[in-house]
Amino acid sequence: MIFDIGHLILLAALVLAAFGILGGYFGGQQRNTRLIQSSFNAVYAVAALVLVATVILWYGLLSDAFQLSYVWNHSERALPTFYKFSALWGGQAGSLLFWCLLLSGYSAIVAFANRHRHQVMMPYVNSVLLATSLFFLTLLVFAADPFKRVGFVPPDGQGLNPLLQNYWMIIHPVMLYLGYVGMVVPFAFAVGALMSKRLDNEWVHTVRRWTLIPWMFLSAGIIMGSQWAYMELGWGGYWAWDPVENASFLPWLTGTAFLHSIIIQEQRGILKVWNVVLIWLTYFLVILGTFTTRSGVLESVHSFARSDVGPYFLGFLVIILFGFLWLLFDRLPLLRGEHTIDSYSSREAAFLANNWLFAGIAFATLWGTFFPMFSEILTGERISVAAPFFNKVNGPLFLLLLLLMGVAPLLGWRHTSLAAFRKQFTFPTLAALGVGVFVFVVARSLYPMIGLAICAFVVATIIQEYVRGVQARRSTTGENALVAIGNLWRRNGRRYGGYIVHIGIVLIGVAVIGNEFYQQSLSVTLATGESATVGRYQIVYNGMQTDRQANLMEFGAQLEAFHLDSGQQVAVVVPKRNIYDKAPDMPTSEVGLHMSPIEDVYVVLNGWDDGGASATFTIYINPLTMWMWVGGIVLVIGTLIAAWPNPVRRRNESVRALAYATGDD
Amino acid sequence: MTEATTSDRPPAAGADREQPASKRAVRIWQAVFVLILVGFVVLLALRLVQTNQSEQRAAGEAPSFTFTTFQGETIALEDLRGQGVVVNFWASWCNPCRDEAALLEAAWRREKENGIVFIGLDYLDQEPAAKAYLAEFDITYPSGPDLQSAAARRYGIKGVPETFFIDPQGNIQELVIGPIVSQNRLDELLDQIRP
Repeated sequence: MIFDIGHLILLAALVLAAFGILGGYFGGQQRNTRLIQSSFNAVYAVAALVLVATVILWYGLLSDAFQLSYVWNHSERALPTFYKFSALWGGQAGSLLFWCLLLSGYSAIVAFANRHRHQVMMPYVNSVLLATSLFFLTLLVFAADPFKRVGFVPPDGQGLNPLLQNYWMIIHPVMLYLGYVGMVVPFAFAVGALMSKRLDNEWVHTVRRWTLIPWMFLSAGIIMGSQWAYMELGWGGYWAWDPVENASFLPWLTGTAFLHSIIIQEQRGILKVWNVVLIWLTYFLVILGTFTTRSGVLESVHSFARSDVGPYFLGFLVIILFGFLWLLFDRLPLLRGEHTIDSYSSREAAFLANNWLFAGIAFATLWGTFFPMFSEILTGERISVAAPFFNKVNGPLFLLLLLLMGVAPLLGWRHTSLAAFRKQFTFPTLAALGVGVFVFVVARSLYPMIGLAICAFVVATIIQEYVRGVQARRSTTGENALVAIGNLWRRNGRRYGGYIVHIGIVLIGVAVIGNEFYQQSLSVTLATGESATVGRYQIVYNGMQTDRQANLMEFGAQLEAFHLDSGQQVAVVVPKRNIYDKAPDMPTSEVGLHMSPIEDVYVVLNGWDDGGASATFTIYINPLTMWMWVGGIVLVIGTLIAAWPNPVRRRNESVRALAYATGDD
Repeated sequence: MTEATTSDRPPAAGADREQPASKRAVRIWQAVFVLILVGFVVLLALRLVQTNQSEQRAAGEAPSFTFTTFQGETIALEDLRGQGVVVNFWASWCNPCRDEAALLEAAWRREKENGIVFIGLDYLDQEPAAKAYLAEFDITYPSGPDLQSAAARRYGIKGVPETFFIDPQGNIQELVIGPIVSQNRLDELLDQIRP
C-alpha cells in the first residue's frame, strides 16, 4: 500500500517537473515573474517528492518488504543493516532513484543559492535541471519501477551481490554519483547562458565552484573505486581500463579540462566556444556512461543487469547532442573571443596545450572503450582493446600533462621574458635533474627516471611558488610563515589550493610509476609451515582459520612476512575468502595487505586443499602504492581550499583580474 | 605591458574581414561535427537493437549456437543431439576459471568415450592469451571464442566461469555459476546428462 503511494509520488514528481520546465522556459522568455517563481517552486517540490519516494524504498529495504521485486532481488533478512541501507544503489531501479535524489537535491540547492542572482539566466537553468530530473523520473515510472511487486510474498530475499558487500562499496558509489550528477549543474548554467544570451563572464564565475565540488567528488569516487578494486578484486592492481571505469574517467577528463580552460576565459576572454563545448561534453559523457553501463551496450565485468532503459537513454542522448548543437550554432556569433593568444611562452598557451592533452586522452579513452563494440557491429569480429593500448597511448600524454603542470605556473600571462624565464626555471630544473640522476643511478631505467624527474619538477615549482608567496606576504605584513600560508589559502585559495591539488596528482603519479615499473609478483602453493621469498620478504604460511559471520563463512590464511636480511617480522597478513550463503558459487576475495610508505605486501588467497593444509597464493610487492591514497586525500583537501567561499576574495576579484591582466600577480 | 593592450584590436578586425570564407569554413565544420555525432548515435542504436534481440534462455531449452574452435573446426550445438553436452564459459583473464580447468579437462578425457562432449566458449578475450591458457592447462576439448558474445548473451550468463549441463534431448539440466572444484560434484552433474 505504502509502496503504491511511492509509485504515485514519483508520478507526481514527473508531472511537476514537466510543469516546471515549461514555467522556466516561458517565464524566461516573457520575463513573467510568477512563472519564474513557479519554476523555482517546482525544483523544490520535485526534490521533496523524490526524497519521500527514496525514504519509502529505504523503509522497504530495512523492513524486509520482499513483496517488492527490488528488495527481493537485492536484499535478504540476514544482510547487515547498513548493507540493507546501501542496497538502495546496489541494483538498477534503486540506483536510478538514488541518481534522481542526488540530482533533485543538487537542483534545489542551486536554485536556492541563486534565487536572487542571475535573474535572466536562472529560469533556464531550472528548466535544464528539471529536464534531467524529468528524464530520470520517466525511467523510474515507466521502465525501471523500484516499487514493482512480485506476485507473491517471498519468505526471504536473494541477497545483495557479494562484491558489493564491502565498506568501500557503500561510500564509493555515493561519491561517484555525487560527482557524476553534479556535472549537470555547470551544464545547466552553460545552457542558461546560451538561452538568455548572457555570455559574458558572469556564468563562468558561478559555474567554477559548482564544477569544483562535483569534480572533487568524482575524483574521490574514482580513487575509492580503485581502492576497492585493489582491496577486493584481488588482481594486484587498482585500475584496469574496464568500460565502467572508463565511463567514470571520461567526464573527469573533460571536467578537468574545463576547470582549467575557464581560467583563461576569465582572464583573457578567449575560448568561449570551447568552454561551452567542454561542459556539454562532460554532461554528455555522464549520461553516456550511465547509459552504456546499464543497457548492456558495453560489456564489462561489473555492469548492471540488462533492462529496458536502453531506448530511453538513447532518445535522451539524441536530445542532448542535437538540441545543444542547434543552440550553440545559433549563438556562435555571440561567442567570439575578445583576444588572441600572443605568445607560445605564455600561460594561456600552456593552458591551451593542457586542454589539447586532456582532449587527446579523453578521445583515446573513448575510442578504446567503444572501438570493440563498433568493430563488432561493422565487421562481426570483436577486437579487444586492453590495458596495454590505454597505457601506451595515455601514459606519455599524462607525462606531458604532468610536465605542463610544472611549467604553466612559471609562465606569465601573455608573454614571458627571457629574464623571467631564467629566474623561474632554475630551481625546478635543478631539482628535476637531481632526482633524475639519482633515479638513474639507483634504478638504471629510462621511463621511471623521466617520470620521477618530471614529478620533482612539478613539486619544485610549487615549493618555489609557495616560498615566493610567503616571502611576499612576510615582507609586507611581517607575519610568520605558517600564518602567511594560511592567508595565501584564504585570500587566494584558487591558486594556492590548486597547487595542493597538483601535489595530490603528483603523489598519485609517483604511485602509478612505482606500480607500473617495479611491481613484483609470485604465485605459489604453500603447505602449513612452508615459506616463499618475494622481493625483500620471506613469507610463511601458518594455517587456515575459519570464522562464521551473519551471512557468510570467512576463510582466512594466516601469513607472516619477515625481512629477508634481518629476519625481523614485518607484519601478519591475512588474505581471506568469503563464501556467502546466498551465492556460494561467487566467493569473494579479501586481500591480505601490509601497507607501508615504501611498498605494500599484498597477498591473494586463490584456493586451498584439505581444510587448509596447503593453500595457493599470489603474492605481490607493490611499490609506493600508499601514495596513491595519500594523493587522493591531498587532492580533496586542495579542492576544498580552492572552492572555499571567501568574502575577501570576492571583493578583490576585480582588483586581481586587473593585476593578472598586466602579468603581475 | 601597456602597449600589449592596444594589440588586442587588430586580430578581431582581421577576423571580420575574413568573414565570408570563414563563415563557409564554420558551416563545413559544423556539418562534419554533426555527421560524426549522427554516426555515433546510429552505431549505439544498432548495438542496442542487437542487444535486445538476444533471446532470453527459454525455459529449460538450450539456445542454439555455432562457434569455430581455435583450431578452425566449426561446431553447432544441434549437431551434438544425442550426446550430453557440457558448455563451459571461460576466459583467460578469469582467475576462478583456473581453479576448474584441470578438473574439466580430466573429466573430458575420461568421459569422451561415454557420449559426453565438453565445449569451451571463450568470453571477451584475446586470442594469444586464450591460446596460452589452453596450452597451460593442456585443454583438448573443443574450445573457441564466443564471437560477439552471442552465446553468452543467449545463455544470459552472470559471469565466467559458468557451466551449462545439457542433456541428449537438448535441455539444460543444470547450470553452475562459478568454478566447479570438486570431482564428486562434477560427477553428479554429469550423471544427469548421460545418454
